[in-house]
Amino acid sequence: MFRKADTSAAWAFILATLLFFIGGLLTTVVPPMVDKSWAKPFKNADPAKGITGELKPLGSLEQQGRAIYQREGCWYCHTQQVRTILADTKRYGWRGVDAPVSTPDEFVFDSPHMFGTKRTGPDLARVGGKYNEQWHRTHFKNPRELVPGSIMPPYPWIANNPAEFKALLAYMQSLGRAKEWRPANDYEK
Amino acid sequence: MLEQNSRAEASGTGAAVVHVDATAKWFIASSVLYFFIVGIIAIVIAAKFVWPDLMGTTPWLTYGRLRPLHVNGMLFGWLLAADMGLAFYVIPRLCGAPLWSEKLGVATAVLWNVIVLGAVVTLLAGQNQGWEYAELVPWLDALVVVAWLMFGANLLMTIAQRKYDAMYVSIWYVMGTVVWTAFVYLTGNLATLFTTGVNQANLNWMYVHNAVGLIFTPIGLAIAYYFIPRASNTPLFSHKLSMVGFWSLAFVYVWTGAHHMIHGPISQWLQTIAIAFSLMLLIPVWAVVYNLFATMKGQWHQLRENVPLKFLMSGVVFYLLTCFQGPMHSLRTVNAIVSKTDWIPGHAHMAVLGAFSFFAIAGTYHAVPKLWGRALHSQAMANWSYWMLMIGGLGFFVTLWLGGFWQGWQWNNVGIPFIDTVKALQPVWLVRFFSGIFMFAGIVLFAYNVMATVVGSSSEAAA
Ligand code: HEC
Repeated sequence: MFRKADTSAAWAFILATLLFFIGGLLTTVVPPMVDKSWAKPFKNADPAKGITGELKPLGSLEQQGRAIYQREGCWYCHTQQVRTILADTKRYGWRGVDAPVSTPDEFVFDSPHMFGTKRTGPDLARVGGKYNEQWHRTHFKNPRELVPGSIMPPYPWIANNPAEFKALLAYMQSLGRAKEWRPANDYEK
Repeated sequence: MLEQNSRAEASGTGAAVVHVDATAKWFIASSVLYFFIVGIIAIVIAAKFVWPDLMGTTPWLTYGRLRPLHVNGMLFGWLLAADMGLAFYVIPRLCGAPLWSEKLGVATAVLWNVIVLGAVVTLLAGQNQGWEYAELVPWLDALVVVAWLMFGANLLMTIAQRKYDAMYVSIWYVMGTVVWTAFVYLTGNLATLFTTGVNQANLNWMYVHNAVGLIFTPIGLAIAYYFIPRASNTPLFSHKLSMVGFWSLAFVYVWTGAHHMIHGPISQWLQTIAIAFSLMLLIPVWAVVYNLFATMKGQWHQLRENVPLKFLMSGVVFYLLTCFQGPMHSLRTVNAIVSKTDWIPGHAHMAVLGAFSFFAIAGTYHAVPKLWGRALHSQAMANWSYWMLMIGGLGFFVTLWLGGFWQGWQWNNVGIPFIDTVKALQPVWLVRFFSGIFMFAGIVLFAYNVMATVVGSSSEAAA
């Protein structure tokens, strides 16, 4: 078979396509059929079964904020996934509570996905409610005012634009809150 | 086979084929120009890690907009365009037949330049689709598909009209690139539109991984396989082994996308499959590297004088290292340390700059004098460009590996506040910036040398 492809361009072409489709279909089209959690929004009302909560689609304000996050490329520096690594759950929890691990059912409505590949800054999967409005405004204006040594870029054109700031803030505060993981829901607004 | 072709090429036995090469010229000249321009952006980005307020208050100069321009500019403006130009040079020569249509080829080159300019404007304006490597807006994606079909049709028709029955390995790799790129690109830019969440991420990683594995790797290897025997005047060690490399690459690469989500929110069994296939990647890599090294046996002394060969063989070494790192990163324990750290850009740059750009630079140095019928403007300058890129590149890769590894250790020690892990990397980013200056100097020397040859500051005819 492979010998034939040595002298016949048509054979080589067909074989190369075939091999591609075997691996391609089995690893992209089949998995979501096998693992239903990729498409079923997270929902649990029974504390006995673990953490409670429900994943709801973002409202329009939060969607606008997400579009700003997308436009400014925040996702090149921030991931949104608490991995199955102990250090991730400890580091990205706050006020002494560990962050729950991210599961596929928490991202069902996300498009484009924002999982990210690089942590130049910290993971933001559970940042919703960690800081208040004033903190975020100052931070976007000049991150180094709050966190000396930060290399996050300043975003004055967002911080000084009330509509954009409000939207981005709403998106930030929504992150990771499908799961009610904070004791007594002690999130900042 | 290559010898057989080259004999026909050189002695003009039978009906000598006259290569017009207008398409190759257009692609190569414009790609070299983009290499230089996008190099400036690379320097600015590296500087922003050290001086984060640099150009910070201008929206279109912010990090999040320059970075996709850097990545897309280097991948599509420079590297893929240079590779396409070299394919337009190599394939007709290996087929002993003229390019099927120069008109179509030049039109492809013009369209490609329109795409690159469109990418610059849209990315700086913040029009970003939010997927890595697939940032470009849909109308540009559509133009890429059209350009690719034009490119593919032209080369496939040329191959169909070839004079020699047996196909040299570079021809398969180019054919593979034509087919795979089409489907890989559609997966990453079209299929993703109809999915969400983890499903979409899985398609996105399949695309990201195979943009390197099934686009830049096969076309890069096509170039290495052609120019290494050419530049050293030595036949390829083994045709059969090159076949093993090709078909194992064709089978294994597509399976590995999910290794970008190891420990992440994606099914464990899919992670395991991706890991298993990532390890199998060592097979095609070994087959290719062994073949190319065996070709050079007894010929290594040629490296002293021969600049294209220096680039080619260093590229092979970087290819080996990159492709050893990749499977290792996919192991769960290693991944828990290096994933998401600065190690990763160190790895990525070794692949795209150290391996594939080195191949393309070598091909360009070799082809430009032949295309324009003039001796290279300056051999000494070419040699300097090699050393600048080599020193800068090594400085870049090595500091980011060390820094990234250290960063990963720190992250896994939860007692260290995140900001301290940022501050700890400042010296690493400073060294990276200066390495970048060296690399950029190499790019400037390369681009100047090529452009000076093109415009003909040397009247000496090519040997
Ligand atoms: C160049 C990389 C970079 C970019 C781009 C970037 N950040 Fe950051 N970000 C950081 C770094 C580094 C930190 C940690 C230091 C700090 O808090 O400023 C950080 C911290 C944060 C934090 C605080 C997280 C915590 O848990 O303390 C938030 C929220 C945040 N960034 C949001 C954003 C948003 C929104 C954008 C896009 C508008 C953005 N970042 C773009 C690097 C970046």
